[in-house]
Amino acid sequence: MANYAMAFDYKLCINCHACEVACKEENGIDLGAKNHRLWIQEEGEISGDFWNLDREQLHFMQMQCQECQDAPCLKACPNGAIYIDDNGIVRLHKEACDLTLACMHACPYDARYIDKKNHITDKCIFCADTRLARGETTTACQITCPAKLRYFGDLDDEKSEISQILKERKYFTLKPELGTKPKLFYLE
Amino acid sequence: MKKIEISRRRFLQGSVALCVYATSSFSFTSQHDDTTTTLKNIPYLCNMCRNKCAGFARVENGKVSKLDPNHYFPKSRNMLCPKGNAGIDALYDEDRLKYPLIRVGERGDGRYKKVTWDEAYEYIKEKLVTIIDEEKDNRSTIAYCNGEGFNKDEYIQFFGSKLGSANFLDEGSICLNTKLGATQLTIGDIGEMDVAGSDYLIISGANRYESLITPDSIDMLHVKQKLVVLDPRCTVTATKADEYLPLYPGTDLAFCLSMMYVALEEKLYNKTYVQEYFEDFEKLKKHILQEKYTPEWAEKKTHIPAKKIYQISREFFSAKNPLYYLGRRSVWSQNDFQLRRAMVLINALAGSINKKGGIIFGKPFVLKKEEINEPFYNNTQDRFDLDGIVYGSRKGGSWLNFREQVVTQKTPYKVRTMFIRKHNIMQNMPNIAKTKQMLEMMDLVVVLDTMPSDTAMMADVILPECTYLEREDMVVSFNRLEPSLALRNKVIEPLYESRSMQDILKGLGKKLSQPLFEVSAKYDEELQESIEELGKEKAFEEGGYDLAELYQNDITTRNKALIIKDFGVEVYTSLKTKGVWHPYIDEQKEIVNNYYQYYPQQKRFYSVSRDYKVQCFLKKLKKAGFDAMPTWHNHYDFTPQKGSFRLITGRYITSTQTATTNNIILKEFKEKNCVWINNRVAQQMGIADGDSVVLSSSIGSVVIQAYPTNKIAPEVVWFAHGFGTDSQELTHAYGKGASDNVLIEDRFEKIYGCATMHETDITIRKL
Repeated sequence: MANYAMAFDYKLCINCHACEVACKEENGIDLGAKNHRLWIQEEGEISGDFWNLDREQLHFMQMQCQECQDAPCLKACPNGAIYIDDNGIVRLHKEACDLTLACMHACPYDARYIDKKNHITDKCIFCADTRLARGETTTACQITCPAKLRYFGDLDDEKSEISQILKERKYFTLKPELGTKPKLFYLE
Repeated sequence: MKKIEISRRRFLQGSVALCVYATSSFSFTSQHDDTTTTLKNIPYLCNMCRNKCAGFARVENGKVSKLDPNHYFPKSRNMLCPKGNAGIDALYDEDRLKYPLIRVGERGDGRYKKVTWDEAYEYIKEKLVTIIDEEKDNRSTIAYCNGEGFNKDEYIQFFGSKLGSANFLDEGSICLNTKLGATQLTIGDIGEMDVAGSDYLIISGANRYESLITPDSIDMLHVKQKLVVLDPRCTVTATKADEYLPLYPGTDLAFCLSMMYVALEEKLYNKTYVQEYFEDFEKLKKHILQEKYTPEWAEKKTHIPAKKIYQISREFFSAKNPLYYLGRRSVWSQNDFQLRRAMVLINALAGSINKKGGIIFGKPFVLKKEEINEPFYNNTQDRFDLDGIVYGSRKGGSWLNFREQVVTQKTPYKVRTMFIRKHNIMQNMPNIAKTKQMLEMMDLVVVLDTMPSDTAMMADVILPECTYLEREDMVVSFNRLEPSLALRNKVIEPLYESRSMQDILKGLGKKLSQPLFEVSAKYDEELQESIEELGKEKAFEEGGYDLAELYQNDITTRNKALIIKDFGVEVYTSLKTKGVWHPYIDEQKEIVNNYYQYYPQQKRFYSVSRDYKVQCFLKKLKKAGFDAMPTWHNHYDFTPQKGSFRLITGRYITSTQTATTNNIILKEFKEKNCVWINNRVAQQMGIADGDSVVLSSSIGSVVIQAYPTNKIAPEVVWFAHGFGTDSQELTHAYGKGASDNVLIEDRFEKIYGCATMHETDITIRKL
């Protein structure tokens, strides 16, 4: 029993792709750029003339399932295949998924992709059925990150590193106006 | 709270067939599998680039299923980069060299027959004995080269000490020998840069966030410091810098000279340090001031505003622990040696030598070499590639000068055979056509590699080496500030018929020892006397002619003996179970989020007692007719002809030269390279994103896609090295992108004989 969440010290990201490769290797995601549980998105751009560039607007954003507490995908699934597990992670009853893609269309964060191998819509589940299932306490993306910018842990545990950092630092969530209550936090 | 609008995902071009992963990685079957379900975590050292980070390999039922970082290793700071993670796909790459092969077609056409190891050794023996006999036992008719850090010394022991050739070549002369030499000759040691301890860091050109060096790149992400980046291209490192100073390529030396000018003119340098350690300080001071290397002068050369140079110089010399980062990359231009020297001198003027945040000497662990009996070959001649080069590396020589002498047939004796280990010489040095010409002149080319590279396709015999996950290597000592020992443990048995280098050399040594001894006995008078005196058997034995001597014991036995003798059982156990040992391994502590402190602050070797001087003036250079001190010459000015562009190179974060472009997972990020062209220039030329363009230099042309961008200077173009592979055996890399070395003119500087990679101008034509 935990309430898992992730916080990103996002400005440290150098877009090295280590997290993306680690995730694919750990979770056996099919090859192909379209198949991924997480990705890094370039936000903004470097503007101006070469000799006078404005570099402030470019950021590398860590993108993946935002673990909404009020998850649009869960509500949208006509088969009731999506649920929130004991650790607060949005999960899928694989056998109940018949690829209606309703969840994909409902997700405002574009977090899901079609896993053609298993005939389901797949997304980040914090390595729940791989690393966490083996008793490890880190996700693949987190442990491999050169910048160590990904904080992962239990929000219900006040002493956890993620709880501490959310107390110390300012943060924002993506598209808060939708009321999805994401559990992924971007640290300022 | 801030709101951020996200767009739909943007993907890189293309996608590969589904489930390739499953067939190449997970469903892979090998005869070495265990039948019961087992899960093991085995400590290993990565080999996807030169860093050698430490990791744990998860092995499930005999198959490697995941690579994770090893938190015990101070050097790699508990991380694995994308390439490190993708090491599994290097292991299970279906294009790997699997069996010994002998060429049946023309060189380069890729037609080989599969043979046994013994047949391959036998073929090599027949050829080599004839060649050495015809060359009257001049062993230097063999040239041998190596591009991999691990096992290099052992490879040299075999072909140099044992077989007797003087002609060893490595990547140093197409990489960073000027930097190593400049540091060694200026402060008496190559040192180590303490990036983590620096509060003010200037980086010229080194792209530490896209070309990771551990621990430097990682430390830059974690410590509070001001970062100043100079680059003719706005790299990710430049993007992240506190100050980015765009400049013309090849003009960093002018910037350095003007920094020295400000320090000397405004007396900002560390006077106590200078007084104690500098030799010929007055000469340097007079030179810099008299030549008037003012920021105003440097502005004209570099395009960096004078007032910015004043500001950076003043900040640097008033910082507590300033560091001018010396780089770690290929040589740019003729002034490279003095550019690196200028950087060392700037650090020295600030007193940033042998102290926190500077160039430190530290205290690395010293590993003893195993002793072997080395034969002496009286008919062997010396190397010739350092003729005309002032210093040069006696160890690794000068590739371009070597190749030039061979192809123009000016060598003092014939070089007739080459042994090439993990060194893709067909792609790694300027002017590929000349490398091909050189290889075509050889009577025997043997390649030891894991992949069918362009160079392997030129071989007569291909010997498949196993990857780093399939072998144990000899223990290695790492770093100076926080020294450690690390051991590459074997994760799984070698796949197919591949073998470790040690096993390959053992087999080769056994096959060659006796016949080559007979050749020596025919020509070598001293050996003849020895045989007369001792008899053949004893002369062979005592003379050290057993080429496989080092391999009487396997590597595990050798490691165990070596480590336990000098460091004890506990260290050995640590290396076998944790992959690493350092004195504080049991008390190292996590600072934040899986990021560790290894040595306590007060135990790090920031300063050590050492007698040394800072040499401002190198007399040997003066005598040879070169500048004794860093000096600007007008021909260093950046003046490409109208309509032409200076070509500069670099790499993507997901690739290590040509070694990774066939990796199925890494190619999802960069499948091919594109040429960066300034956006305004591209617009004027009618070139749009993705257009095919022809780039031409005086020696060749390539076709490549254009990437117009504001992130590069108008007179400059850039594209990443490592692409444009010609070998059709590399399914995923073949025909993707363009090779820079088709275009780069083969020039080398004369201080270290290093190839100058950034002196070629090219033209662009839209297809």
